[in-house]
Amino acid sequence: MALFVAGLNHRTAPVELREQLAVEEDKLRELLRDAQGAGIADELVLLCTCNRVEVYGVAEVPGETRAAVFRRLCRHRGVDPASVEALLYTHLDVDAVHHAFRVAASLDSMMVGEPQILGQVKDGFALAQACETVGPTLHTLFTQAFAVAKKVRTETEIGHHAVSVSFAAVELARKIFTGLGGKAVLLVGAGQMGELAARHLVEQGAFPIYVVNRTWSRAQEMARALSGTAMPFDELSTALASVDIVITSTGASEPVIRRETVQQIMHGRRGRPLFFIDIAVPRDVDATVDTLDDVYCYDIDDLKQVVDANIRERAREAQRAETLVEREVAKFRARLADVEVIPTIVSLRERLEGIREGEVRKALARLPEASAETRAAMEALSSAIVNKILHAPITKLRESSRAGAGRSWTELVHELFNLGRRT
Amino acid sequence: MHASAFNLAVVGYVCATGLALAYLIQREEIVHRLAVLATLAAWALHTLGLISLAVETGRPPLGTLPGSVSMAVWVVVLLDVWVERHYGVKVLGAFVLPVVLILSFKTMVGPAGLVQIGPTLGGAWVWVHIALATVGIAAFVLNFAGAVMYILQERQLKAKRPGAFYYRLPALETLDRLTYRTLALGFPFLTVGLILGALWAGTAWGSVFTFDPMALFSFVAWAIYALTLAGRAAAGWHGRRAAYFAVVGFAALVVTLGAGLFLPGRHGS
Repeated sequence: MALFVAGLNHRTAPVELREQLAVEEDKLRELLRDAQGAGIADELVLLCTCNRVEVYGVAEVPGETRAAVFRRLCRHRGVDPASVEALLYTHLDVDAVHHAFRVAASLDSMMVGEPQILGQVKDGFALAQACETVGPTLHTLFTQAFAVAKKVRTETEIGHHAVSVSFAAVELARKIFTGLGGKAVLLVGAGQMGELAARHLVEQGAFPIYVVNRTWSRAQEMARALSGTAMPFDELSTALASVDIVITSTGASEPVIRRETVQQIMHGRRGRPLFFIDIAVPRDVDATVDTLDDVYCYDIDDLKQVVDANIRERAREAQRAETLVEREVAKFRARLADVEVIPTIVSLRERLEGIREGEVRKALARLPEASAETRAAMEALSSAIVNKILHAPITKLRESSRAGAGRSWTELVHELFNLGRRT
Repeated sequence: MHASAFNLAVVGYVCATGLALAYLIQREEIVHRLAVLATLAAWALHTLGLISLAVETGRPPLGTLPGSVSMAVWVVVLLDVWVERHYGVKVLGAFVLPVVLILSFKTMVGPAGLVQIGPTLGGAWVWVHIALATVGIAAFVLNFAGAVMYILQERQLKAKRPGAFYYRLPALETLDRLTYRTLALGFPFLTVGLILGALWAGTAWGSVFTFDPMALFSFVAWAIYALTLAGRAAAGWHGRRAAYFAVVGFAALVVTLGAGLFLPGRHGS
């Protein structure tokens, strides 16, 4: 019986194929039930996202299970199984554990550190649980994978540092201002990305929000959407003087915010910094504004540069996360080994206990006058013998499985004590 | 007793500085925790040293310049740990502890001078003078650290190329507030300390301005800090300019201490 993971992801398969194989939940449920009924695996979890299609399972012959599952998936979507087969990877035992931990911790994601994957893995696991295809091995594996993912998130900064332009702008604001609570924001223009950045700022507590637009109705509409105040375009410089963060995204061909205007308003601010987020192309803020003291002006290229730096920073954090995951895999090996032998230990115990009870009953039937003390002594004696006999084989089973030879030993024990088919 | 406690404390500060700098490079939470632990352990040893020095000599451990610089270091470390917690500036130690180390090498390593204030240096005022100046210096060490962090962070934000400091240092507003507050805290202490020193010099030595290198430089440092504080309070100075002044003021303060520790004069050891 082997633990395995098989599938394809954003590195091995083109997006068209991934899209085709990303089947809906109902179909996954059907597939799990079907696989269960057909007995193609002892345990099964399917993970299906836009970036990966993976089968986690415990089976006698992982290759067969893999082929069976993907054959069904392909048939459902009308894809040629042969074309998929070549793109599949398979990891066994410890490698499968390593893979599962990396996936849950978002180390195997297209955008390393993205937070959605953990939720998707949890969904996949929950679905399999609902279909009762999760056994002790996968249960241990996934609960541990969730714990590792959480640990990676708290102990490394893999999920920090924005990888989108609008979030990068918010992070920059947090490096200028102590907190964004109560910081006034001015939104100039009605670009979508500008609105998105404003929304992020509002989520961080920025208030109040002013909206300026050449089209008055558009300004009002946007102000309503952001619970802000619309202001006429010719009051732009008045608005500038009172706010902390300015987001510009107009379609103007000339800068709408000039150096002289900003220079003038900075006098009255007594060092309150002013942060321009200029998302417009061509730029809305005069390039020389940036040279003024206490003014920080980031245009779209600057923000992209910050995003690039953030991605590099994440990659560095990912290195630390990899080390952490490797440590966790090593720890988990020991637990997994126990999981492998525990069913055998349990059936062995049950077997011997059954014999003991049966024999004690028989003996007592022949001694009807036996006192309560004698009965208790017989119980104690037989239990002690059973425990003494069990001690050595149980220890041996645990040791051998931790050394990686659990399977042959469990088989031997099953044979010797006639424990029947292993589960 | 006090000598070995001081030596051990310096070893502790060396470890704490190393860990604090390591935390700046490798942001492992455990490294920060160890740095704080090492700082606190060294500080405890330092406290022990100061107490035993006071017990051995029967006076506050401020009787010599090295003694009072050591006392200043003690206050700096206390403030550092507090500010780190209060402002959430976990990297502060990396900027404060190197200064602590420099100040403690001359004053705490080796057999500590037991030379005490001479017969002319009697009276309670001189103790007050030393104690106030000590607290002032301690506040200015933090002022300097805050200013350096501000300059680094501002530079990164203006350059638009986020580097190590961008990710590790707190917001400009936080740093500016930190430098302002430490200036506002340190300045009155330094001022009153200097006035008492001058008045007392007048009565003890007959003249307020007898040539003493330390006294001279300390007035230069005071003037720079006075200018910065006035600029901040009245002219709205802030940010980079205030930070540069803080660095210059601290340089003058270091020269002052250097003059007191190394040049012959009335403060000399």
